[in-house]
Amino acid sequence: MIPVQYNIRSLMVRKVTTAATAGGIALVVFVFAAALMLGEGINRAFGSSGRQDVAVVLRNGSDSELSSGINNDLVNLLKGQPGVSPDRAGEGGVPAVPGVIGEVVVVVSAEIDDGSGGTTNVLIRGMPAGGMAFRPEAKIVSGRAPAPGSNEVVVGKSITGRFKGISPGQSFDLRRNRPLQVVGVFEANGSAYESEVWGDLDVIRTSLGRSAGVSSVRVRLASNGQFSAFKSAVEADKQLGMKATRESDYFRKQSEQTSGFLVGLGIGVAILFSLAAMIGAAITMNGAVANRSKEIGTLRALGFSRLSILISFVLEAIALALIGGVIGTALVMLLASVEVSVLNFQTFSQVVLSFRPTAAVVVTALVFSGVMGLVGGLFPAIRASRVSPVEAMRA
Amino acid sequence: MTTGSIEAGEAKEAKSEGGAASKAGAAAKEKGDGKGKADAGGPSIVTLRKISRSFQRGRETIQVLDGLDLEVPAGSFEALMGPSGSGKSTLLNIIAGLDRPTTGDAEVAGSNLSRMSDGELAKWRSQNIGFIFQSFNLIPVLTAAQNVELPLLLTHLSSDERKKRVATALRVVGLEDRMEHYPRQLSGGQEQRVAIARAIVNDPKIIVADEPTGDLDRKSADDVLTLMERLNKEFHKTIFMVTHDPAAAERASVQRRLDKGALQ
Amino acid sequence: MNLATYARRNMFRRRWRTILTIVVIALTVVIFSAIRTVVVAWSAGADEAAQDRLATRHKVSITMQLPKRYIDDVRAIPGIKAASWAVWFGGKDPKKRIPFFATFAADQHTWFDVIDEMKVPAAQLAEWKTTANGAILGDVLAKTLEVKVGDRLVITSDIYPGDWEFKVVGIYEATRKSVDRNTMVFRWDFFNNDPRASFSREQIGWMMSRVSDPRKGAELSRQIDKIFDERDDQTMTMSERAFQLSFLGAFSAILKAFDWISVGILLIMALILANSIAMNVRERTHEYGVLRAVGFSAGHVRGFILGESVLIAALGGVIGVALTVVLINGLLGPVIEESMAAFFPYFRTPPSVLLMALGLALALGVAAAVLPARRASRLKVTDALRRLD
Repeated sequence: MIPVQYNIRSLMVRKVTTAATAGGIALVVFVFAAALMLGEGINRAFGSSGRQDVAVVLRNGSDSELSSGINNDLVNLLKGQPGVSPDRAGEGGVPAVPGVIGEVVVVVSAEIDDGSGGTTNVLIRGMPAGGMAFRPEAKIVSGRAPAPGSNEVVVGKSITGRFKGISPGQSFDLRRNRPLQVVGVFEANGSAYESEVWGDLDVIRTSLGRSAGVSSVRVRLASNGQFSAFKSAVEADKQLGMKATRESDYFRKQSEQTSGFLVGLGIGVAILFSLAAMIGAAITMNGAVANRSKEIGTLRALGFSRLSILISFVLEAIALALIGGVIGTALVMLLASVEVSVLNFQTFSQVVLSFRPTAAVVVTALVFSGVMGLVGGLFPAIRASRVSPVEAMRA
Repeated sequence: MTTGSIEAGEAKEAKSEGGAASKAGAAAKEKGDGKGKADAGGPSIVTLRKISRSFQRGRETIQVLDGLDLEVPAGSFEALMGPSGSGKSTLLNIIAGLDRPTTGDAEVAGSNLSRMSDGELAKWRSQNIGFIFQSFNLIPVLTAAQNVELPLLLTHLSSDERKKRVATALRVVGLEDRMEHYPRQLSGGQEQRVAIARAIVNDPKIIVADEPTGDLDRKSADDVLTLMERLNKEFHKTIFMVTHDPAAAERASVQRRLDKGALQ
Repeated sequence: MNLATYARRNMFRRRWRTILTIVVIALTVVIFSAIRTVVVAWSAGADEAAQDRLATRHKVSITMQLPKRYIDDVRAIPGIKAASWAVWFGGKDPKKRIPFFATFAADQHTWFDVIDEMKVPAAQLAEWKTTANGAILGDVLAKTLEVKVGDRLVITSDIYPGDWEFKVVGIYEATRKSVDRNTMVFRWDFFNNDPRASFSREQIGWMMSRVSDPRKGAELSRQIDKIFDERDDQTMTMSERAFQLSFLGAFSAILKAFDWISVGILLIMALILANSIAMNVRERTHEYGVLRAVGFSAGHVRGFILGESVLIAALGGVIGVALTVVLINGLLGPVIEESMAAFFPYFRTPPSVLLMALGLALALGVAAAVLPARRASRLKVTDALRRLD
């Protein structure tokens, strides 16, 4: 075998060419890894956030809480369904946890606080007393929880400070002269909840003029396994006209379109880019073969086989691509602190997503760069292996 | 620009007519008798005074030429010998206007090279200097004729005129039947003769040759040297040649030795 | 022979390198054009929005509705020529032949007068006014849902329960390319009388008004909002363009990412082109020394390098533009317009994008050659002659 140091040294000698080619590959890997990291971020926001033992009940035909509507009296009917956990009374400082909560969900226009004057939509959730206790993952991280029945709201960690009026200490109107006062910030394990504003059900419902009903109902199940019993009971009752989904599935479905679109877009772009980068690697390796034909001839004359020449050049191409891969992966880590606000197609409101670096992302990105090197370097390496020692030495 | 003397020389050779126009005047007359190996008494075409050339390598300064004086009479054929690193090529490059002395004056073909800009030097070279390199340096993607034509592209000659001159130059070197060949289809000796045709096609006053036979076998080397002798005698070109090869130096009218930056 | 002969021969000296470089440039031009086409097509609706139309919606939320009587207040304002209204229905195809299409209930007497780029034949419009459950569809949507005039059509809604049955009474045609041909419009009174929509009774989603003088648009917008300022439901009125942009604005992060992506692809193009040119120049350094010795100037050498780079970029650019026209405008565009009409009613690469792509390729051709050309022309002739690699 030809020692790999030989290839590494060859790359180092041609600094400009190596840098240009690796730079191109680094860009591709950057885009690719960024898409993967966004995918991981979306997974965290939607995939991991919903609970297995909570069912989300929507009106039949609605895909999201936003378009769903359920009458007040139907909410109470759900309490008697099989598998539903009874209300738990609070004792000794532990708050009461209801078994069933009906909530109203609405998007409101909010001005983006970046000086652009642009507006977007923010999701507001009005919840009954015990709504926060219903979600043990939610914690107040600054300020305080809203007083029940008041016009106070708390804002999710991801969107704090992004929109005018929706930050602690500020207030915004849902209806004329009925300001909602932001009194605190909550976090919820990185889930999509962190892009929401939470307030009192009745206050928000009145502001919206929708006292007749709620958007959706959440049901705490006695155990995970009770879900199918609950689901079939609810869906069998045509009177109710409702459907039930596990909260975890609901969240995943909520993000499916957006996530598929964003990650697919990113990876699609990266693959298109990689075509160009692979040709770039092929150009560079071809040049290396042409410039070193004498050297290759000498190696062949010394007794190295065609195969070892082939392997040597393929390895050199992979090493070249890996330089780019490492640079691209290192640079993409800078995105770890970046958050992007994108529109969730299903809820038509903004969700703030972060790029999450994971070991899997790093490994996949490096493998991807290696594959680019392999594909780009294969044909030049085949050419190198075909160099005739006699001809090369004469040239 | 003086042009046409190669054609003139050609004509003389072909028709055996005397008295063709020649710009090399006195030197031509002297060489006309065939003895030629003279310390040609013509006016100097190269005058170097107190030439020094040093290079910086890292912190070290390497003095290659040191206070060198040289006069080359017009129409002579001079060979410069000397060990490797003696400064032969540097001296040649200064005469050819490729390099400039650190100090001292270089007057070649009536121009003071020390005072010319890079652009002026390039133009001056194209009119006054013909180059012959050790490794021929033909452009591989161009045919023999196109290689010879290359320097003419810097002139305002018409395409027809250029073609005529290329044909003449290639006839002088005996390769009129190889015009459409590419360098790789030629032998080493033939390549060097194409290079010589390229060197004379512009009708320069001086031909500088850097080891013109270094890459050639004996037979081809002899052919090339005979051709150079002919250029000197028939076409009255001043030739300044750097060589390692005593047999080559033997063919020149003047032999000089350079050692440690000074002429012996 | 002339200098161009030499330049041309040089270009294909490393035949595969030049061909591959041209392929990369063509490829990147196609990718760049495609990305820019998405951006342009995305905002095409807003760009083509009528100048003389105002949209009025609920101030707080796009999902909140306004009392229907508001339309009378708007119509009473001098300077408002006509006004109409609609309610978002969230229609869905029960057979899922199309994932998303716009459906709304609108006033049958005024809607197509205000939105006049949707052209409905007079007879069909008259038929609509006499058919309570009549619906008018875009030609593309009608094809997808496999219905024609006179057919029965059942759809469901994301918001209102049950099956809704309509009779297709008309097909509108788009007189502007930005008009979505996948929209379904039916009668608001029919909707309003249905008990399943009781919580929207006498409510409307948004109003569209035509103004007599487009220059007074901003002033009239303020005037409209002022009328409702003291009422329970306040309004937000804006030009139709701003209205559409407010939906698109939500996608601004993606559009921004697209801007970065197009910069990225240009960078890759520049790197690969610069690398090819640098490799050429490196391999020919000795030759440039010979040319200089023969009397060519540093300017000539710069010219050769620059010319070759620009020529390669131009060839790649022209091929890329030609491919873009064939691929996007010829093949992909019509498919996208049919299948994703809600987002991209018109998906073609405009000449401005093609020109920009070609211009950028040429500019990068120059940029890629600058450094190698400078290095080569600054190299001393004697050093260049010594270089043999």
